Amino acid sequence: MISAIGNNVPEALFSLSNSKTGIGKVNHLTTRYKDEYLLGEVKLSNKELMDVVGSTAPGLNRTSLLGMIAAKEALVNSGIDLKDGLRTGLISSTTVAGMCNTELYYRDMVEKHGHLEVLDFHDCGESTERIADHLGIKDFVTTISTACSSAANAVMLGCRMIKSGMLDRAVVGGVDSLSKFTFNGFNTLMILDKEWCKPFDENRKGLNLGEAGAFIIIESEASLKKRNGKALAQVAGYANANDAYHQTASSPDGLGATMAIEQALAMSGLKPADIDYINMHGTGTPNNDQSESKATVNIFGSNVPKFSSTKAFTGHTLAAAASVEAVISVLSILNNKIYPNLNFTTPISEFNLSPVTKVTDAQIKNVLSNSFGFGGNCSSLIISKN
Amino acid sequence: MDALIEKLKVQIIEQLNLAEVKPEDIKPDGPLFGDGLGLDSIDALELIVLLEKHYGIKIQNPADGKKIFESLRTMAEFIKSHGKS
Amino acid sequence: MAKKAYIIGSGCISPQNTVDNNWFFESVVSHESDHLNAIEPSYKEYINPNMLRRMGRAIKMGVTAASIATTEAKVENVDGTMSGTGLGCFEDSERFLLALLRNEEQFLTPTSFIQSTHNTVGSQIALIMKCHNYNHTYVHRGFSFESCIMDAMMSFDEGKHTALIGGIEEHTPIYIDLNQHAHKLDSHIDHKYFEGKDLGIQMGEGAAFFVLSDTNKNASSCIDGISMLYKPEVSKEILLKATQFLKQHNTSLENIDLVLFGLSGDKDLDKHLLDIIAGISKTNAVGHFKHLCGEYHTAGAFGTWLANKIIQKQNIPDAVKINLSNKTSVNTVLIINGYLNINYSFTLLSKC
Repeated sequence: MISAIGNNVPEALFSLSNSKTGIGKVNHLTTRYKDEYLLGEVKLSNKELMDVVGSTAPGLNRTSLLGMIAAKEALVNSGIDLKDGLRTGLISSTTVAGMCNTELYYRDMVEKHGHLEVLDFHDCGESTERIADHLGIKDFVTTISTACSSAANAVMLGCRMIKSGMLDRAVVGGVDSLSKFTFNGFNTLMILDKEWCKPFDENRKGLNLGEAGAFIIIESEASLKKRNGKALAQVAGYANANDAYHQTASSPDGLGATMAIEQALAMSGLKPADIDYINMHGTGTPNNDQSESKATVNIFGSNVPKFSSTKAFTGHTLAAAASVEAVISVLSILNNKIYPNLNFTTPISEFNLSPVTKVTDAQIKNVLSNSFGFGGNCSSLIISKN
Repeated sequence: MDALIEKLKVQIIEQLNLAEVKPEDIKPDGPLFGDGLGLDSIDALELIVLLEKHYGIKIQNPADGKKIFESLRTMAEFIKSHGKS
Repeated sequence: MAKKAYIIGSGCISPQNTVDNNWFFESVVSHESDHLNAIEPSYKEYINPNMLRRMGRAIKMGVTAASIATTEAKVENVDGTMSGTGLGCFEDSERFLLALLRNEEQFLTPTSFIQSTHNTVGSQIALIMKCHNYNHTYVHRGFSFESCIMDAMMSFDEGKHTALIGGIEEHTPIYIDLNQHAHKLDSHIDHKYFEGKDLGIQMGEGAAFFVLSDTNKNASSCIDGISMLYKPEVSKEILLKATQFLKQHNTSLENIDLVLFGLSGDKDLDKHLLDIIAGISKTNAVGHFKHLCGEYHTAGAFGTWLANKIIQKQNIPDAVKINLSNKTSVNTVLIINGYLNINYSFTLLSKC
């Protein structure tokens, strides 16, 4: 994982354990609003990212670079040898893809036919194929784009393909770099907070955008056995439902979110009381946090488990958000710690729910991780101790 | 005021791409949102940009839109009291 | 994937007159151009004006094709919606991007940004159908639509009963202009797709949706399976994969009544597929389809629409044929599609 809180998982764990946010002043993104807003940028420049990857191939953009670095870290840590004859797939997700470069050259392309090579590096599949080629994965590749729930759906597809016997293991996750396009898009929706975002706070004003690449590797038990591998955690449940309420807004009754959580629980065979911690979608926008709180109360009633949104650490990393939070959920399980919901002071009056605000020790067996997106896409994952 | 309301009708139709709506269909005191013209939260954001682009008025908090965009008349009154032109 | 996916409804907007679900190549629409534009219906008949006013063409085409498919299938809801698009809603992306660049990030409005996201077609379908079920969007080049088929078939094995799947792509005047300058395109009306003589593709666009069911009631044909192959190095690898794929479905190339190729028209990009055609055209009936719809990420959806109609009508249109076929019945069609010599896929359809 590479994000605003570190270039790899150990660095992220250090930031999480020390309540150190990665959101700050704008360093890399070129925008006229540079001094007005805060972003969760990966600290490395494109040049530095290329040095890490060891490539300066034409058309290599920030999205692909973040993906290549994160996926490689996951693969190396897993100890998997891709040449052992087992079938490995790559399921990535992105919303920005090549837009981070296209936006730099599009006027020149349109008005003077300059930089036309950029055209071929614009689409989402291109960035996934860069990652696949960097890792050496050939058996299966595809890309998902369901806005901010994308990476959860990548995890879900990977699990389903393994269960159906099509793959033995899959590298799954998502990647998005910051771009002027998405930054201005969210700005027109007037849901960006100019200060640090405050998920689940009565006075929350909006989200901070971030960027990240994050991947996990899921594997069948048989495949693990064959190579004498050991799992860090297991995916116990997943579900995808649609709010079908509005193109961008979440419904006030949290219907889609409630359905996703309910179905993920049903699949895992767990009861609501078995959930030890919820890593919330918690973007910090008035609309999302209201709707998600409602869904939480719909499921858990007055026994809401300990919860936090870690977006005040990383910013909202869009297509990567669910895989960033899957990694954080696994860290929570491995370390028996809940990483806090930063910047929170006052509960939302409608619900009176307070997240965990300090690094907290807790026995964690089952984590629910939510991810919701534009287009009503709602996905929930349940990750359990192995 | 009436001239401003007429002008707003045309601008709203253009900004929101209301191809099926004619200026005379929008009543000066009728509701723009909900049951009226059937506009939603995205249209409210579009109208905020309309105010900025055509009248130089910046609205910082989208929640303020609710009152301002109640009807054509409330919108025109708001422009009169806040606008530069 | 053990279960079959029965096609019980389809809708297609393409550079042919496919909007009319009864039309079947009574006359081929020829486009003497390096890009084939979709022939679009009057959308007002399909989409309510309050939704229509915000939609770009990709969304209109997608939502309409989905509506034609669900109407034909007589379903109001489905267990899953899977949409595939390589470029997403390009018109809206382009509009927002150019406004952003030309106005230096000022006076931007949210509508085109909101509509630009890749999952817009799928989510608009969910909104219109008020469907809260599984909704997914695949955005991987020549695997975008094919991933939808795979997902739907997997969902049937998991116990779901219906799925709405589709592929959508649009081009814009600017996108065409950029491609004309960046790539070799070809506008010859007698472009030799399968003779391997010409360079350059013809760009295309369109949307095709299908309602799939796990039972054969009212089905026009069924999809037996799908397989994808990433970056094969030689044509033998493609043929081997095709052979293995057919074996998994208890058949072999000799038993296939029509092999339908997705040739781009560029002899370099098509070199592997042309090799295969040369090898099998003595023993198999072979055809192709991209000269009818143009080349785009999700052209496979048009190919699937065509294969389904060929089986339903028991008629291989002359415009599709590469060699002369004396087949009197068409029980099985294998689509071998290629995209940019990177993404290859195999889709097997049969009569049911």
